[in-house]
Formats: sequence, structure tokens, C-alpha cells
Amino acid sequence: MRIKGIIFLVALTLLGFLISWISIDPIIESEIEYQASVANGALVEIEGLDIDLIDLKIRWDKLQVANPENTMTNTFETGEMELDFLFWPTWWERVIIEDIIFKDFKMDTERETDGYFEIPQDEKNAEPSFVAQVISDVTSEVSRNASMEFTNIKTNINVDSLMAKLDLQAPNKIDSLRKGLNQNYQKWDSTLANTDINKEIDSVEKTINSIDVKNIKDPKKAIAAIKNIQKLVKQVDSLKTRAGNLKKDFQDDFENSKFSVGRIDNWIQGDFQRAMNLAKLPTIDAGNIAQSLFGKNILADYSGYLEYIAIARKYGSRLAGDDKEKIERYEGKDYNFTDKYDWPKLWIQNIDLSGETKTAIQLAGQITNISSSQKKTKEPIKFNIGGKDDSNRKMNLTGEFNYLGEEPRETINFIYDGFGLKGSKISPSELLPYPLKTGTGEVSASVNIIDKRIDSEIGYKAKGIAFDFGEKPSKNRVQQLIRDAVSSTDQINVTALVDNLDGPLKIKVRSNIDELFVNALKSTVSREVYAARKKIETRVNQEIGDRKEQLLAFKNEKEAEIRKEYEKLENRVNEEIEKVEEKKKELEKKKKELEDSLKDKLRDKIGF
Amino acid sequence: MFLILKYIAKLLKALSSEASPNQLAGGFVLGMIIGLTPVASMHNLLILILVIILKVNFGMVILSFLIFSGVAYLADPLFHNFGIWILELESMQATWTSMYDNELWAITKFYNTVVIGSFVSAVLLCIPMFPLTKISVVQYRKHIHEKLMKTKFAKALKGTKLYSIYQTVARVRG
Repeated sequence: MRIKGIIFLVALTLLGFLISWISIDPIIESEIEYQASVANGALVEIEGLDIDLIDLKIRWDKLQVANPENTMTNTFETGEMELDFLFWPTWWERVIIEDIIFKDFKMDTERETDGYFEIPQDEKNAEPSFVAQVISDVTSEVSRNASMEFTNIKTNINVDSLMAKLDLQAPNKIDSLRKGLNQNYQKWDSTLANTDINKEIDSVEKTINSIDVKNIKDPKKAIAAIKNIQKLVKQVDSLKTRAGNLKKDFQDDFENSKFSVGRIDNWIQGDFQRAMNLAKLPTIDAGNIAQSLFGKNILADYSGYLEYIAIARKYGSRLAGDDKEKIERYEGKDYNFTDKYDWPKLWIQNIDLSGETKTAIQLAGQITNISSSQKKTKEPIKFNIGGKDDSNRKMNLTGEFNYLGEEPRETINFIYDGFGLKGSKISPSELLPYPLKTGTGEVSASVNIIDKRIDSEIGYKAKGIAFDFGEKPSKNRVQQLIRDAVSSTDQINVTALVDNLDGPLKIKVRSNIDELFVNALKSTVSREVYAARKKIETRVNQEIGDRKEQLLAFKNEKEAEIRKEYEKLENRVNEEIEKVEEKKKELEKKKKELEDSLKDKLRDKIGF
Repeated sequence: MFLILKYIAKLLKALSSEASPNQLAGGFVLGMIIGLTPVASMHNLLILILVIILKVNFGMVILSFLIFSGVAYLADPLFHNFGIWILELESMQATWTSMYDNELWAITKFYNTVVIGSFVSAVLLCIPMFPLTKISVVQYRKHIHEKLMKTKFAKALKGTKLYSIYQTVARVRG
């Protein structure tokens, strides 16, 4: 035994422990902060990280997660946190945390420093996700209705100045479509005129004509000619197939043109709608009124819930995908005798949370099974957080993010009940500008997403309400009617439905006071709105002119020409097929005659 | 360069008479195990500890490691096939499964075809290689050493500046 060797080993081990004890914490802290900031899109800061490798614990004093939308605030922050992780999975580069306890969890807190974080170019997601697209659609729906004016309808609309501002899009789009169609028709003209099929038909014709059946005197020559004609049969069959393919191609092309032309009405309608928005002219129906009254608030809340789902999907896709099996030459193959080590890269089994909201509701709850691969943990992410305060305001958030199956499924249910409405306005719309004297509110939301199918409902209830119309209420007739209508209402129920179950995304907002408003508006401003709409509609149609009709006529004419050209080609092919068949029959007949005559001659020679 | 030269000189010295044939053979087989098996394996940490605490010849460990690393590069596909055969032995399935379920065994990565194939091959090779090395050392001392020392290479080696520096350092260190 080497004594010096043993001393060396002991010294080396001690040195290793010392180095890791001194330097491991700041390195891990900065790496966690960087990765979490990339995932969050804004700074994530940890203070006082302490990793205890002997007791297998990690703790920190404070965690701040900056809000990417407003980097001077935190989405949430926590006070002291402690977590236990398992030792053995670390050998397989896996982190499995059994339990995390977050104390002093607070949402929407102010920051002392800016939490902006520049995401490196290579870490950015190039394509907007499905959920992000839904958020964008919902947001644009909100802004579409934000500019509507119901009480101050302008009857003397200056259509010229409106059109100058509008910049109609439909005429350009129709012109550009016509140009595209024309190029396409030219392509087909040229294809049909220069097709090899015509040349091949000429060549087949020449070959047929060169076969002079009458002058064939030898059966061998007849057989050779038949073989030749059989080749021609194959050739004309192939010509027929090629002509058929050409027909299929241009018919597919024409179908696409039909689809493009079908969009013209949408373009015109789009221009008209934009003109209406510019003139701030509303459509007076229940859906539009409800959306104008409550859409902005309720859909903004809705976008907020979707953000959480977008974050869950984003984190899920960032964490997943790094468990791919590595197959490299000469690295051998691992035999997994059991599934014991089939852990995900990260698995936080349980988070116990306690803290308070910005409105001082004491929150407590659990989040379970956050993992980089639910297929390995066989458990979806579930959360249940809730609480209430002394004045009986309650909040509860439950949900499940399930990525176990082929399609990702997310469910969120949220209720916030009992918040006071005194002094607040329940709608940002000019239709309902009055604050409330009394009332409590309840918001509930249920969002279900399965892959790219979304089905969600947001409810808003204002209970026990009474409006404060002020001492000198407006004498505007519309306002008067609205006041009369809502003064007897003590509850307002609003429901927003967002789904794409039957096709494109639909956003519907309804409330129990829509009809009151519709009636009030119909009896007052409806006629003015109709007259102004008609004015704009006539002018938009004038500007667009007969472009659509011209385009349709052009399309029909050109397509008929191309079909005619094709029919000529098809007829030539069919005629050629008939000629070849006829020639074949003639040759077979001739062959039989020659063979019979040869047999007769033979019989005569033998003397039968 | 100096370090390699130092170990070659030390090895030549050890081969001539200084170290016992057991120490040289021990170094040779331990270096062979490290060389033949994937270096970053848990069992190699144990072998390294054995190299440090046992009185085996370092020079021989390094020489053997260098030789067998090259051999392993070519022989890995064979080790892989041998590993498959071992891990698929019907009679061993219960043992492998219970070893796999034990984390201490599992961190040795015995369940990898190249690790188990090369390790078993290396251990099996130790049986003939240890006595063969011993015999070779004795035979070398008897028949080859004198002749080798008279070769141009040995003379050239002795004549280099680095070798004289090494001799001086070795003398000073005792």
C-alpha cells in the first residue's frame, strides 16, 4: 500500500468538497436565473440561493419574476422557499423535486429596478403559437368595437373625406387577382399550344399512313406491322392519359381561381366595415351592443387567462424534447431492465403555496406534477389555489394542463366573487357612463382547449346594483331612454363565448340588458344610422365599380377558351386512337388472309 | 513532453531491475482495464484509486492505458456484440434486473453493452495477461535489456538534454 497515495486521495476529496462548497451556489444561481429569464421573457431573480448537497435541499430568501408586459412590476414574487430534491436522479442528469414550499407568495408587486431582459436571438420562438393567435384575434375584436359611438350619430357624414382616409383595399386586390388569373390563363394557353401531344399525334399519323396494308404480301411483314401498330396503341393510350392529366391540372387550377374569386365579396364587405368603423357607425343589434358595453373588459380578462395557457405550452415545449434517445456509433446500447430510471428531465411533484393577492386576499393552494414530460410521469399538471378575505371576497383558480395524450388539453376555471362595485363603472362604453352606488361583482371563467379547438366562457355578474345618474343627467334622448331602461335593473349578467368548434374563431358577448339598449337605440338613432350606412355602402360600391363583374366575365371567357382548346386536343387524340384501332383490324384481317392463302398453297403442293 | 519522457525513462529503469515483476504486471493489467473500457465509467474511478493506493508501476499503467485505448477504439463493435450476448443471457435476467433496480450498481452503467462487454473482456484478459507480463518482464531483464541499452535509440535517449535534466532532478529528489 502506498501511504502517500492514500493521503493524496484524502486531500483530493477534501479539496473537491471545499471547491464545490465555495463556488457551486453562485454558478447554479446565475444559470437558473438565465434559463428562467429566457423562458419568462423578463428577468427572474433569486436572492440568497443555498444548495445543501448533504441534506439534498435548496433554499432561497427571495424570488422575483418580472412581468414581461410591464417590466417595472413582478408577475409574482415569493419570500423564503425551501425544496427537497432526490439524490439518485441527479446521476442521470435528472432533477426530481418532491416538495417546494413557497411562503409570502405575492402577485403584481412593484419592482425597484427594471426587469427587462433581452432574449438572445437563438432562444426566440419564431412562429406565434395557436394560443397567441387566439389572443391576437380576441384583442383585435376588442379594438374593433372600441370606437363605436351610439349616442352621437353623425348624419351629415362627409363621404369624400371618409373615402380619402379609408384607402379602399378591394379594388387593388381585385386588380391584382385579375393580373394573377391572366398570367395563369396565358400559361395554359401556351401549355396547350406547345404541348408535345400534338407533335406525337402527327408522328403517329405519319406512321399509320406509311403502313400500306394492300401491298403487304408476306405474313411475316404483316406480323411486323401488327407489332408496330401495337406500339402505337400503347403510345396513343399514353397520350390520352397525358391529355387527361392536363385536364385535371387546369381544372384544379380553375377551382383555386373560383376560391379566390369567392373572396371578392369578403374584401368588399371588409372595406365597407372599415368605412363604418371610421365613421364610428355601429350596427344596432344585441351582439354588437353587448360587445361594445362589456367586450373590452371581459375579453381583456379572457386574454389574461389565455396568457397562462400560452406560458404553460411554451414552458412545456421548452422543457420537452431534450429527452430524445441518443444513438451514436460505438456508444453501445442501454438495456433498460425496468422503467425505474425513466424520469423526466425535470419533475416538481408538489408545490405548496401561500401568500396574498394585490387586493389582500389570503391565498393558499397546491400545484402538482410540473414536469418536462408528462408521458414519463403519467401525471398532468394540476393546480388549485384559492382564498378569501375578511370582507368575504373569494377567489379560486383550478385547472389542469394535460399533455398525456396525442393532443394537448388545457382547462382553467376561475372564480372571483364578492368584490365591491361601489363607485366603479361596469362598462367603459359611452352607452353606460354611470358609476354604481352599490353592488358586488362576480367574475367566472372556464377555458377548455384541446390542441387547436377552443371552447370557453367568461361570465360577469354585477349583483344588487344601483346606478348613480348624477344630479344633472344628460338630456340626450338616447341617454334618457337608457337611464329609464337600466334604472329598474338590479343585476347585470354578461357572458362571453369564445370558440372555434364549428370553424373560425367566434367571439360572442351577450348580456341581460342588450335588448333594453337595442330597443332604446332602435327607437331613436336607428334611422340615422341606416341612412348613413346606405350613403357609405353606395359610395364604396361606386368606388369598386363593376370590377367584380368584369373579372367574372373575363374569367368565364378565358376558361371557356381554354376548355375549347383542350377539347380540340382531346378530339385529335380520340381520332388517332380510332385510326390506330382501324389499322390494327385491317392488318389482322390481312394477316389472316395471307396465312389462309399460304395454307391453301401448301395443301395444293402436298396434294390433299 | 517532459512528463512522457520522464515516465518512459522511469519505465525503462523499472523494467531493468528497480520494480518487482508483480508491480509491473499489476500496473499493466490495471492500465489495460482503464484503456479497454469507456474512460468515464464509475468502475474506472475505483481502478484509479487502486492505482494510487497499491504499489503498482505508474509508467506501466500509462503505457498499458495508451496501448489498450487504441485497441478499444477498434474493438468497441466487438465489445458491443459481446455485451448484447451477456445482457441477453436468459439465466442472468433476474440478476441484471435486481442490479438495475439498485442505484449503486446502476451508476456503473453495467447495463450498457459496450461497458459490460469491454469490462468483462478486460477482466477475463487479466487472467492470462498478469502472469504473461510477469514472465515477459523476467525474460526482458534476462535477454533483452542489455541489448536494448546498446541500441542507437537508447543511446540517443540517454544523450538528450531532457534526459539529463530528468536524471539531475531524480538525483536531487533522491
